[in-house]
Amino acid sequence: MTNTIDRFGTASRVLHWLVAISFLLLVLSGLGLYAHTFFGYFDLFGGPQQGIMVHKWAGIVFLIGSVLLFLSHAGEVCRFDADDRRWIARLGGYLSRNAEEIPQGKFNAGQKLFGIFAVIAALVMGATGLVIWDPTAYSRELTQASFLLHSIFFNLFMVGMIVHVYLATIGNPGTLEGMLYGQVRRSWAKKHAGKWLEKVVKD
Amino acid sequence: MKRKAFLIDTTRCTACRSCQVACKQWNKLAAEATVNHGSYENPPDLTPLLYNQIHFIEQEQGDDLRWLFINRRCMHCADAGCVKVCPSAGALYHTKEGLVAYNREKCIECHYCVSGCPFDVPRYDTKQKVTKCHACSNRVQNGLLPACAKACPTQSLKFGDRDQLIAEAKAAGKKLYGENDLGGLGVLYVLDDEPGTYRLPKNPAIPASIFFWKDVVKPLGILGFWGAVGVAALHYVTIGPKKLDDADDQPRKGGE
Ligand code: SF4
Ligand code: SF4
Ligand code: SF4
Repeated sequence: MTNTIDRFGTASRVLHWLVAISFLLLVLSGLGLYAHTFFGYFDLFGGPQQGIMVHKWAGIVFLIGSVLLFLSHAGEVCRFDADDRRWIARLGGYLSRNAEEIPQGKFNAGQKLFGIFAVIAALVMGATGLVIWDPTAYSRELTQASFLLHSIFFNLFMVGMIVHVYLATIGNPGTLEGMLYGQVRRSWAKKHAGKWLEKVVKD
Repeated sequence: MKRKAFLIDTTRCTACRSCQVACKQWNKLAAEATVNHGSYENPPDLTPLLYNQIHFIEQEQGDDLRWLFINRRCMHCADAGCVKVCPSAGALYHTKEGLVAYNREKCIECHYCVSGCPFDVPRYDTKQKVTKCHACSNRVQNGLLPACAKACPTQSLKFGDRDQLIAEAKAAGKKLYGENDLGGLGVLYVLDDEPGTYRLPKNPAIPASIFFWKDVVKPLGILGFWGAVGVAALHYVTIGPKKLDDADDQPRKGGE
C-alpha cells in the first residue's frame, strides 16, 4: 500500500498554475491603476502603458482559465450534502484547536464555496474589464458602473485569495503537495477528505 | 494666489465663435472637416481638436426661433472628478490659480478621466493623450488673458479673480451657475433659462459610482487586504494549522 493518493492530474495542475500566475500578473499590473501609492508597480513591466497591456492580456488568460478550471471541477464543486452544511455551520473547525473533522468529499465545503465565488468573480471582473478595456467605447453609465464593480470584486477576490493561499499552504500542511505533485499523503486525505479517500480506495 | 475663473454671460453671446477660433489658433489645433447637421452649430461637440465649443440651442416657438448659445468647455472644478480618477498623479492637476491643467508627459493614456467628469469634457488626441481646455495656464501665469477670453468681442467671456467676478455679477443682479457646485466651478455661467435647457446638470456632482469607487471601495480594499493578512497570521499563531498526524506516512521501524 502506497502512502500517497493521486489527487490532481497534470492538465488540472497546469491549468491551476496558469490561472494563479495570471492572477498574480493581474494584481501586479493592476495595482498602479488602483491607487497612486502603487503607481511604482508599473515599473515591473517597463512602464504604465506596458503594464496596462499586460493587465489586459493576463485578464483574458485569467478569464478563460478560471472558467475552464471551474468547469473541470464543477461536478464536485457544485454538490453540497448534509456534511457540507455541517462543515459550513462550524466554519470547518477553523475556529478551535482540536475540532472534530467533518468528513468531506474531494473538496471541503469551503473550497467549494471559494470555487464558486472565484468563477463568479472572474466572470464579473472579465465582463467589466472588457467594458473598461476602452473606457470611451460604451455609455458613460456602463463604464462608470464597471469601474465600481471591477474594484469591488477585486477587493473581494484579494481577500478570498489571501485566505485561499493561507489555507492551502501553512494553514493546512500537506495540501499544497496535491497541487504541486498531483498526489497527497494518505494521512492528509483521511483528515481533510475522508469521504473522498473511501471512494478512491473502493474504486 | 487668488483663484481665477471664467465668467460666461450667455445672454451676451452672439455665437461669433471667436473663442473657438482663437483657442484653435493659440493651441495650434488643426481644422476638422465636419458635416452640416442642419444648424449653424459646428462642430456639434467638443473634439480632441476643439477645447471650447459654442453649443446652439434652437427652440421653435410658433413662427419664431429662440436661439440660445453657450460656450462649453472644461469647468475647472475645484472638486474635479477627472483628477480624482486619474491613476497618474500630476497628469491632471490644479494650477495655483485653481485651474485644471494637464501634463501630457505624465498621461498614461488610460482614458479614465472622461468617466470621472460630470460634464463629459476630456477628449483624447491621436497619441491617445488627454486634451481639454487647460485655461491657457501658460498664458495666465504670464499675466495674459486666456486666448478665448481675449478674443471675445462682446465680453460674454470674462476671465479674472473668481471672487471679484462673482461680486460684480451679483452687484449687477445676475444669477450664477456653478458658484458652489463641486467646490465651486472655475467656469461660472449667467444663463437665460434653466440649466437643463443648456444641457447642463442642475446640480453637478461627481458621479455616485465614481465616488464609491474612489472614496469607499478603494480605502476599504486596502483595509481588507491588511485585515485578511492579519487574520491569517493571527489564526496561525493562536489556533494554529491543522497539523497532520503523520504516523501512517512514516516507514515503520522495528521495535517502535
Ligand atoms: S469639467 Fe471635467 S475635465 Fe474639467 S475639471 Fe471638471 S471634471 Fe475635470
Ligand atoms: S487618460 Fe491621462 S489624464 Fe486621463 S486619467 Fe488617464 S492618465 Fe490621467
Ligand atoms: S482658455 Fe485657452 S485652452 Fe481653454 S478654451 Fe480658452 S483658449 Fe482654449
